[in-house]
Amino acid sequence: MTAYILHLAILVGIHIILAVSLNLIIGYAGQVSLGHAAFYGIGAYVSALLALHLAAPFLLCLAAAGLVAGVCGLGLGLPTLRLKEDYLAIVTLGFGVIVDIILLNLGITGGPDGLVGIPAPVILGLSFRPQPRFLALTALLTLLVLALAAALVRSYHGRALRAIRDHEVTAQVLGINTPAYKVAVFTLAAALAGLAGSLYAHYITFINPESFGLHTSILVLSMVILGGMGSLMGSVVGAFLLTVLPELFRQFKDYQDLAYGALLVTLLIFRPQGLLGGGKLSLKFLRQGG
Amino acid sequence: MLTLKSVQAGYGRLVVLKGVSLHVRAGEVVTLIGGNGAGKSTLLKAVCGLVPVRRGAVEFAGEDLTRLPAERIVSLGLALVPEGRRVFSSLSVAANLELGAFHRRDRQQVRRDLEELMGRFPILRERASQPAGTLSGGEQQILAIARALMSRPRLLMLDEPSMGLAPKMLAQVYDILAELKRSGTTLLLVEQNARAALKLADRGYVLETGRIILQGTAAELQEDPEVQRAYLGKGYREVWE
Amino acid sequence: MVNRPACLPARETDTQPGRLGFPMFVQQLINGLTTGSAYALIALGYTMIYGILGLINFAQGELYMCGAFVAVLLLATGQVGLVGAFLAGMLAAALLGVALERVAFRPLRGSHPLVPLLSAIGASIFLQSLALLLFGPSDRPFPVQLEFRTVEVAGLPVSSLQGLILLTALGFMALLLVFVRYTRYGKAIIACALDRDTARLMGINVDRMVALTFLVGSALSGAAGILMAMYYNATYPRMGLLPGLKAFSAAILGGVGNIPGAIVGGLLLGVAESLGAAYLSSGYKDAVAFVILILVLLLRPQGILRGKGH
Repeated sequence: MTAYILHLAILVGIHIILAVSLNLIIGYAGQVSLGHAAFYGIGAYVSALLALHLAAPFLLCLAAAGLVAGVCGLGLGLPTLRLKEDYLAIVTLGFGVIVDIILLNLGITGGPDGLVGIPAPVILGLSFRPQPRFLALTALLTLLVLALAAALVRSYHGRALRAIRDHEVTAQVLGINTPAYKVAVFTLAAALAGLAGSLYAHYITFINPESFGLHTSILVLSMVILGGMGSLMGSVVGAFLLTVLPELFRQFKDYQDLAYGALLVTLLIFRPQGLLGGGKLSLKFLRQGG
Repeated sequence: MLTLKSVQAGYGRLVVLKGVSLHVRAGEVVTLIGGNGAGKSTLLKAVCGLVPVRRGAVEFAGEDLTRLPAERIVSLGLALVPEGRRVFSSLSVAANLELGAFHRRDRQQVRRDLEELMGRFPILRERASQPAGTLSGGEQQILAIARALMSRPRLLMLDEPSMGLAPKMLAQVYDILAELKRSGTTLLLVEQNARAALKLADRGYVLETGRIILQGTAAELQEDPEVQRAYLGKGYREVWE
Repeated sequence: MVNRPACLPARETDTQPGRLGFPMFVQQLINGLTTGSAYALIALGYTMIYGILGLINFAQGELYMCGAFVAVLLLATGQVGLVGAFLAGMLAAALLGVALERVAFRPLRGSHPLVPLLSAIGASIFLQSLALLLFGPSDRPFPVQLEFRTVEVAGLPVSSLQGLILLTALGFMALLLVFVRYTRYGKAIIACALDRDTARLMGINVDRMVALTFLVGSALSGAAGILMAMYYNATYPRMGLLPGLKAFSAAILGGVGNIPGAIVGGLLLGVAESLGAAYLSSGYKDAVAFVILILVLLLRPQGILRGKGH
């Protein structure tokens, strides 16, 4: 039973990193990525491959996962972030599908079977195979990510709030961030998703493309929307709820996706700011006319 | 025929019309003059239901317009030629005209009206199958007026029909309006350049920053020193001497 | 989620191993045009809805699935003929599309474009999982044994089923073009897409035109679903996912809002995919559309046909 709770806690941590990173894209760039799981997958595969083939130490795998995912994010974001927001959503979705197909077809990624026997993390001779230790590692990383995101919010907000306070029109103007800023945030978010992927791979020890498809992208998006687009605490709550609730309602597993779909539509109509939104990042765009 | 009673309207938090009252009687040509941002277009849009009326009443032929959606108002016999023509640029000239009669059910009569208008404005027959966007500005203005006439309006409202037109086209457009006047069509004409409008109109109103500041017959307004200075482009000296 | 590629064994014209070169090229071309015609039909829905609302109806693929299921279930009863089932499938998709607009789009009008997009994603998930619950995950074969044989067209073998699908799809496209260009309501839809306020001044009820657009666009997607259910001999809850996304790429390729563009884009995409699978690698077949999508958006975001065409 304890093992099961620890397992859930670790997954919650990984999902928090994913949700927070996606939320940064939504909150800062005002754009949605529907391919966030692709960066998660890239991180997982990079980390796993380095560990399996080069016996690279965990920290190096982790760093490489973040780096490669970040570079991919930069590569995708640089040319595409100037697109209209709904186009970007579809481009990222297409990117997700392409990554999925590549993972399915490449020899080195093991095709549909994926990779097995990924070693547990070892840092300075200390193995993180035992669940409590892995949880501690996950918690530490999650907190670091949250701190980073919070710092980012504050620095941005400090500047933005002063101007927003005066007039709504100003807020709308501020909604259009400089492209460079968007690309930077997109890259960072991709890198963070890569880190989450690395954690996941070394925790679960076997991975296949199924965990990193559109379904996962949408699950993470649901977490963000449930918690509130633009709210960091919201993402934490969203990740927690959408990780734990499905476990509690295991017997209704068949209805899970049905509930997600209905939840998304209902939420967007009646409470687009999510459970905890309407504060933190102040997404005025949700209520903006036009 | 059309009566506005202390109408307030605007966009979002911005109040553009701050209590405007005016009326147009059947068979009259009334002009509304005013500078940029006075609220002229907003007033026409409020009458047509494109901008919600916050306070006050808009009555047309005994009907309260404030609660009606824009698409219902045209069937009461009220048509607007919008500012900047707004023809459907990728649709043909003929299709533009047909859409003007969208609400009408009398198909036979619509076809006859189309024929009649094309006879009246030969340029439209010439260009009937061409996309409206390929017409010149003046031709587009004629099309926009003809499109509005296709709805068989009892009151035709025009928003700056002279805007951006060469003098020759301007004269042609005003000839059309004069002919409409002769045939007994009621007109509400909004203009920034008041000279031509006052020449055509029976009465006029002057709108400034959302309020009517002056009203009278066209002759009275033409003689008013303020109007002369601000809207007819006469110099101070001429007015003072 | 993508482990259900559209490369199910389709009833394609056989590519005989000995016949490479030009005949194989032509066969791949015909295969591509066949799937492409389905993409084009769905793309028309995307493009019309985008034209009038400026929104991406992400659930377009589910309308395709809905059309296929209704037709297949009706045919399976043995009480309904092929044509009747076809029309019923289209009608069901059309009504579902209108309902979707009412529930997932209309309440969100005026909000940021991301919000309706996300809500459509929610609707898409909902409909997919609803179909999964109602009908189960497995493939349903097409209940009518379609008599199809290979006919020689200009010396080249073409499956008559492919011919039937292509002709039906092209027929619907022609009908749509006639509707949009020559009927009162078709012109009114374009007027709404061009200038909503002025359309209202003409007495056009924009809400009704939006509903009509959803009705027509969804019916076409439903038709595409039924045609592909015949072609692949399979109907399943997630069948709409990839074709839906690919059709979106086709709409972008043709220039969003451009009706002839959607047709050209769909057919081109189908051909590109088919040739790509034949000459490059069949494993990457499903990636072709998305690579094209990204390239088009980067290089020529207005699509291959310029401007709003009708």
